[in-house]
Formats: sequence, C-alpha cells, structure tokens
Amino acid sequence: MRLGSSVSARLRVRILELVPRYAILVLLAALFVFPFYWMLVISLGTLQSVFVFPPILYPLWHWENFAVAVGLQADPQTGQFLQIPWPRYFLNTVIVAGGTTALVLVTSVLAGYAFASMPFPGKGVVFLVVLAVYMVPAEVTLVPNFIILANLHWIDSFQAQIVPFGASVFGIFLMRQFFLGLPNDLWEAAQLDGTGHLRFLWSIAAPLARAPMITIALFHFVAGWNAFLWPLIVTNSDAYRPVQVGLQNFSYADATNPVLHAAGSLMVTLPILIIFLLAQRQIVGGIAASGIRG
Amino acid sequence: MDPTTASSYAASTAARALQARRRGRAGRDAVSGYLLISPAMVLLIVFVLLPALWIFWLSFQRWDLISGTSDYIGTANYERLLLRDDVFRKAVLQTVYFVVVTVPVSMGLGLFAAVLLNRSMPFRDLLRTLIFTPYVMPIVSTALIFSFIYHPDVGVLNAALNAVGVPKIDWLDSPRFVMPAIILYSVWQHTGYNAVIFLAGLANLPPELDEAARVDGARTWSRFWRLTWPLLSPTTYFVLLINLIGSFKVVQPILIFAGGVGGATSGGGGPDKAAETIGYYLYVQAFSFFHAGYAAAISVVLFLIILAITGLQMGVFSRRVFYR
Repeated sequence: MRLGSSVSARLRVRILELVPRYAILVLLAALFVFPFYWMLVISLGTLQSVFVFPPILYPLWHWENFAVAVGLQADPQTGQFLQIPWPRYFLNTVIVAGGTTALVLVTSVLAGYAFASMPFPGKGVVFLVVLAVYMVPAEVTLVPNFIILANLHWIDSFQAQIVPFGASVFGIFLMRQFFLGLPNDLWEAAQLDGTGHLRFLWSIAAPLARAPMITIALFHFVAGWNAFLWPLIVTNSDAYRPVQVGLQNFSYADATNPVLHAAGSLMVTLPILIIFLLAQRQIVGGIAASGIRG
Repeated sequence: MDPTTASSYAASTAARALQARRRGRAGRDAVSGYLLISPAMVLLIVFVLLPALWIFWLSFQRWDLISGTSDYIGTANYERLLLRDDVFRKAVLQTVYFVVVTVPVSMGLGLFAAVLLNRSMPFRDLLRTLIFTPYVMPIVSTALIFSFIYHPDVGVLNAALNAVGVPKIDWLDSPRFVMPAIILYSVWQHTGYNAVIFLAGLANLPPELDEAARVDGARTWSRFWRLTWPLLSPTTYFVLLINLIGSFKVVQPILIFAGGVGGATSGGGGPDKAAETIGYYLYVQAFSFFHAGYAAAISVVLFLIILAITGLQMGVFSRRVFYR
C-alpha cells in the first residue's frame, strides 16, 4: 500500500516536471516551424487575402496558385501564362546535386581508404594539408576560383558547379574513421588469397561502408540542392541555372506577387524537406558526431 | 619430424612467403596509395589550397574581372581599404554587430533547447527535428518567406507586435531595423544546429556526477552552473568557434534581404549600407564591380580574421577547457 502511493507520488513529480518542459519546447518548436506554415498559408491564399491586415492565419486552399506558378494556368492578375522553366531548373539542380554527391563519394572512399589502410611516404604531411584545407572558408576563395573557372572556360556549365566541390574533407574524415575501424582479420584473410588493396576495397571494404557513405551522400545532396551563392556567380543562362537561382530571379523579376513567390518557395523546399524528414536520423546524427556546418 | 614441428614449419614457410610478398608489394602499395588519394587531393589543392594562397598575390594587383587585365600596384588596395574606404569601415562595424548579437543569442537558445531535450521523454526526437529543420532548408525560399513576415503593412511580425502595442516597424527598409531582421533570421536558421551539437555534448557527460549532486540536494540551477556548464566547456568552445567563423563570413542572407536595397549601382547592402558586411562587400566588389584585386584584399582581411579567431580559440581551448 505504501509502496503504491510512493510510486504514484513519484509519477506525479515526474509529470509536474515534464509539463513545463513540454510547454516551453512545444512553443519553441512552433516558433521554428511557423515560417514553413506561413509559406503554406501564403501560397494557398489570394492576392487580396495576403494583403489584409491583420493577416489571415489559416490557409485558403487556392491550389490553383501552383498551376499558375508553373505556367499551366493563366495568372488571373495579368491574364498571361508565366514562362518560368521550372522543369529545367529542377533538372539542373538534380544534375548538380547528384553529380557532386557521386564525385564526393568516389574521392572520399578512395582517399579515406588510402589514409586508413595504405602505407605511403609523406602520409602525415598530406593529411596535414587536408586539415589545413578544412580551415579555408569558401567565401575567401570566391575570386580566385572564379578566375580559375573562367580560364578553364567553365563559366555557365554543370562542371563549374560540380568539380570545385568534388572533394570533401568531411567525407575523407568519415571514410577514414570507418576504414580504421574495420577488423584487421578481413584484410589478413584477403591477403592470404592474394587480393590486393584495390580489389579488397572494391569487393569487401566499400560494400561494408554503406552507413558512412549514406551520411556523406545525404549531406552533399542537401548542400548541392541548397547551393546558391556559387551558382549565382558562375551561371548566366537557364540551361545551367539551378532552382535556387531560378527562384531568386523569379522573386526579383516580379516583386508584386507574394502568393506566387510562396508557391515557388514551397516547390523548391518540399523535395529537400521530404528527404530531410525521411533521413533526419542520419543527418542529425551525422552533424552531432562530426560538427560539420555548411 | 613430429607433427607439431611439421605444422609449425609449414606455418613459418607460409609466413615467410607472405612477408616476401608483402615486401614486394610495399612499393606497389605506395604507388597505389598516391593513386587513391590523388583525385581528392588534386581537387582540394586546385580549388581550396592554391586559391587561398593566391588571394595574397592577387591583393597586390589591379585586376579587372571582365577584361582579365592586371597591374601590380603594391599595397594600394590595402591603403584604400584600410584608410579611405568608408563602406568597408561600415561593413566591419555591421559585421561585428551581426556577430556579437547572433552568436550569443543562437548559442544561448540552442543550449536552452538542448538542456530541455536532454532526458528521455516522448516526442523528444520529433521536437529536436522540428527545431533543427530551418538549418537544412534552402536559404532562398526561407528568406523569401521571412521577407513577407517582415512586410511593414501586412506582415505577420508587425501584426503580432501591434497586438502588444508596438507601432509599425519598417523592418527591411529602415537603417535601424534591417540588421536586427537579418539577425533574427540567422538565429532562427542556426539555433537548431547549436542545439544538436550541445545535445551531443550533454549526452557525453558522466551521468553519475549529476546523480551525486541530486542526492546532495543541489537545486537545478546551481547543478547546471556548477556541474554541467564547466563540464560542457569543450562543446561550448567548439560551438563558439564554428558560430564565430560562420557569422563573420556571412554573405547569403545579406544578399537576399538587402542586395537590392540601397541602390543597385552602389552595390546594395541595405538602407544607408546598414546591412553591409565584410563578406557581402567582398562579393559586391568582385561580382558587381569586377574589382578582383580589391576583392582579394578584402578576402585576405576576412581570412586573417578567421585564422585569428581559430588561433585564439585553440589557445584558449588548450589552456582553459575542462577535460575529462
């Protein structure tokens, strides 16, 4: 009897402790999520409804705004069809983000394996170079990189958006850590069979490294999708412009229609939001483990 | 020969053969080692290391980005930048303003959220994910939404402030409020990142210490300041370093919120250049005015600031941080 009452007392203390904690956390989370909700509200409103004060706080469900934004339906304000090459922008972004991710995976797996498992003279010095590179922010090298690409005649191309980001210090570190942790028996056994490093890496080590490779791929795909400043500088035609620069141009070209801008924003955000929500465990876990910040 | 010697003989022969094969392979291993690191190293050297060194040389040139012509002009870029350029002076001041507010606020909020989240409870992962989401979302879309939120006449922020009696604020069009608006956006963007790193740091603390303090009857606040805060210092210094560097080089939010304000011919940067930052000024000098040499000099200054922060932090880190 006494035991039961002390258990319920402890439970009551626990609940009393948890309620304010939840209250604050839910409020905080609501504040952080609100802009996404607001994106939805504006994109589903009308040009009249979004210019009402005080603002209407719930969505009006005008789905046709999306049809107008992609040019399938005439803009009711102007009677004209918007001519924004969204499919082209999205395709460009997928090519750039996918290409960067693939290149980063290859270079990280190869270098990570060599740093972890292969003896070669000067390894320590080379690894110090990798560490030094980690200290250089991309903003500092904007100008020389632009000159390099101009000399390569790469301005306004896919490779200008892919190749400079094809090696990742984060990726090399992560792969090196993983390969250092592989049990040595695997390599000993492979050596008895006469297997060399390259075959061992290709057929045994790399297939085991799925987890860190997925983390690296997620990071670089998200970074590639969100890239804005560099593509803004090195692209000047719709043939190579990614969706972020396309959205920016759209919002600059016609600053009077927030409804369509919000619809565009939502289209650009939604794919990455879905990827993030599906893979949030790997992404948040990877950030917690490595501390990488874009 | 008894069976044990026979088997040990066989084993040693196999071992010797293996050793010989290994020795013959050492040379080949070194070559393939270089081969394997070369794709990554070539890219890192060409697109990061050499450009980082090259800005120092570029900063002594007058270099036109369009025509590609260049002259050696000695320290003229630095003399103009450090002694005569009022916009750069403003950019340094506004960058410091941005850093000094954004970093403590987003770190404090992140730590607060992390401490609240640091116990097992239902929906913990969901709450963490929601707070983190802004960090991974595309900056163009989120900044666009914030510019509607900041709209002076129909924006939801002014509506909320109006409800508590605050008069209308011209967020992005007034020299006084454009920076606070950009700071608020940056805090929203980075708090989740800080919370996640702090949460990882908190998870690494020894739980016994906290239990002991609890038994001693220490109150929650004193437990936090006496135990958690000093034990967390390696994480705190790491988060501080990352935040300082990230904030000092800020470009993109400025470009989106204030790139078109303050006159496109003068390079934007907000009303009265109130949102001008070092990183943004570097971008404008290089890619609006095509002064590559001058922009390189700004890059050098920015790089030195970042190296100084890193060096300072490393120094403090090795002396003052509590290690377990």
